[in-house]
Amino acid sequence: MSVAGLGASRAGTLRRPSAGGPGTAGGSARPTKPRTGWKSLVALLVVAGITVWSAIAVGVDFGALIENANNASNTLIQLVQPDYSFFPQTVPALVETVQMAIIGTAVSVIIALPISFWASRATNPNSVALGIVRFVMNVVRSVPDLLYASLFVTVIGTGALSGVFALVLFNLGIMVKLISEALDGLDRGGQEASLATGATWFKANRQAMLPEVAPTYISQTIYVLELNIRASTVIGLVGAGGLGMLIDKVRTFYQYHYLSLIIFEILVIIVLLELLSSFARKRLIK
Amino acid sequence: MTAVSPSTTTRTPSPTRHPGPSERPVKPSRLSSKLIWLLVTLVVVAAFWSVDISWDALLTLPQKLVHYLGLMFLPPAWSKLPDALGATMLSVAMAWFGTLIGIVISFPLSLLATRGLMPAVVRWPLRGLFAVLRAVPEVVIAVLMLSVTGLTAFTGALAIAIGSIGTLGKWGYESFEAVERGAIEATTAAGASRTQVMRWGVWTNAKPDVLAFWLYRFEISVRASAILGLIGAGGIGKMLVDNIQFRVWDVVGMLMIVVVVVTMIIDQLSGMVRHRIIEGRWELPVVTALRRRSARRAREESIELKAASHD
Repeated sequence: MSVAGLGASRAGTLRRPSAGGPGTAGGSARPTKPRTGWKSLVALLVVAGITVWSAIAVGVDFGALIENANNASNTLIQLVQPDYSFFPQTVPALVETVQMAIIGTAVSVIIALPISFWASRATNPNSVALGIVRFVMNVVRSVPDLLYASLFVTVIGTGALSGVFALVLFNLGIMVKLISEALDGLDRGGQEASLATGATWFKANRQAMLPEVAPTYISQTIYVLELNIRASTVIGLVGAGGLGMLIDKVRTFYQYHYLSLIIFEILVIIVLLELLSSFARKRLIK
Repeated sequence: MTAVSPSTTTRTPSPTRHPGPSERPVKPSRLSSKLIWLLVTLVVVAAFWSVDISWDALLTLPQKLVHYLGLMFLPPAWSKLPDALGATMLSVAMAWFGTLIGIVISFPLSLLATRGLMPAVVRWPLRGLFAVLRAVPEVVIAVLMLSVTGLTAFTGALAIAIGSIGTLGKWGYESFEAVERGAIEATTAAGASRTQVMRWGVWTNAKPDVLAFWLYRFEISVRASAILGLIGAGGIGKMLVDNIQFRVWDVVGMLMIVVVVVTMIIDQLSGMVRHRIIEGRWELPVVTALRRRSARRAREESIELKAASHD
């Protein structure tokens, strides 16, 4: 509709100087604007409606916030003055955080490799098995890491083991999704050739698909390690070991100058790891 | 020099026509990559060896897991579903309101951080701020907020808002910078002021991407708000953690199903609106995936047919 209108009016403007007769558009020969005003109005109303509803549900109260913030000025002063003498006491938790992240990554990427081959259309000819494993992995992926952690803490008990389990499950979903999608996108010529020579699907995948997907696999492993460092600093909040447990402890005793030191440490680890991983990935691509 | 070397290499094997087995190319010695593998293995082994975990717990784990899964899902406590849906609504409201505040704050900031629109003095501090906010996990921001202002759903929403400023700011200035220079040049040439360039040159072009990013951030916020509940900010997460602590396992099972289903539904809805914004048509992400799959299959078949007809 709008395109046709545009074409007609443009023709009009072109013809006007030469013919100048009746039927051509007057001074306002510019194309008519497509009317989408009411649509954006409806969209705006919907957004505004949801916002009002959410504001009521959440209980917006800026007054109470300001009041609390005034009372909490002492807390804020403590927060901006980290107590560096606390550092030696945070070292064990810091090390545990890194250990959990490394173990979680190692275990999950090893488990994820066969499952990804199972979950990719390119490497698994059985569509029923494919559907099942994909559905399970979708469910596994949609549960948040902290929820896994709190479940494992109640089942196994507090400590790093629950943390490792939570990380492994959390990673598994992500890793399988990324690797199986990479497998889907691969060129399947090598696999077809292996199958034609009489190889089984397992052998064909092992010989033709695994070497092809290996670089992606390594780079996603680095990515998962990065995610794990982030996650393992916080899953301790529900008792799964690492720095999070320490955060919970100092928070209950209102030691905010310790809390800010811990947060500072988390920032440093995350930034260091990001630098390392971007360096490693650059090397890998080269 | 370079022109000579290929001819010499081709001439040398000429006396013996067929290269013997000794003449295959020398395998490159991948010393550095071997060293890296060794290092990685050592680090992993060291982590396993030094961590304070009693691995005996693994032996009893399978039967424990089966036991607890049975308690949780055989059957889940559907009678508590209305409560769960109410709590979910609160979580979604937290996510929506938090994301909205994040958008309102991050939008002008990301314009200020765009190259070509603002001098570097303004740009770099803002980019640094975004980077720091992205590095801090949301839960940690929430812990800080909660210790300053107390525990409510509203502070949870504010934590989400602060957390989303980092990502939204970055995505914002990246998509503003990706706008084609042509539109900006045209507006500048027409005599637009700096604000007018932003309004008519930059915003009109970046709009679909930015809107899609906002929705995507809302999806992330929905997940984050469930997590914030786990540390006490209300909503479905709080209900979950309360029931886990009191070991009401059948309610926990039901709540987990609700979390998974609601997350999936919201992803689909938001994906549908994103598809409308970018492609101009309404479509569920599931449908998009299916269509793409069948298109790929059709393409493969046509390639096979072509190959067959060539023979």
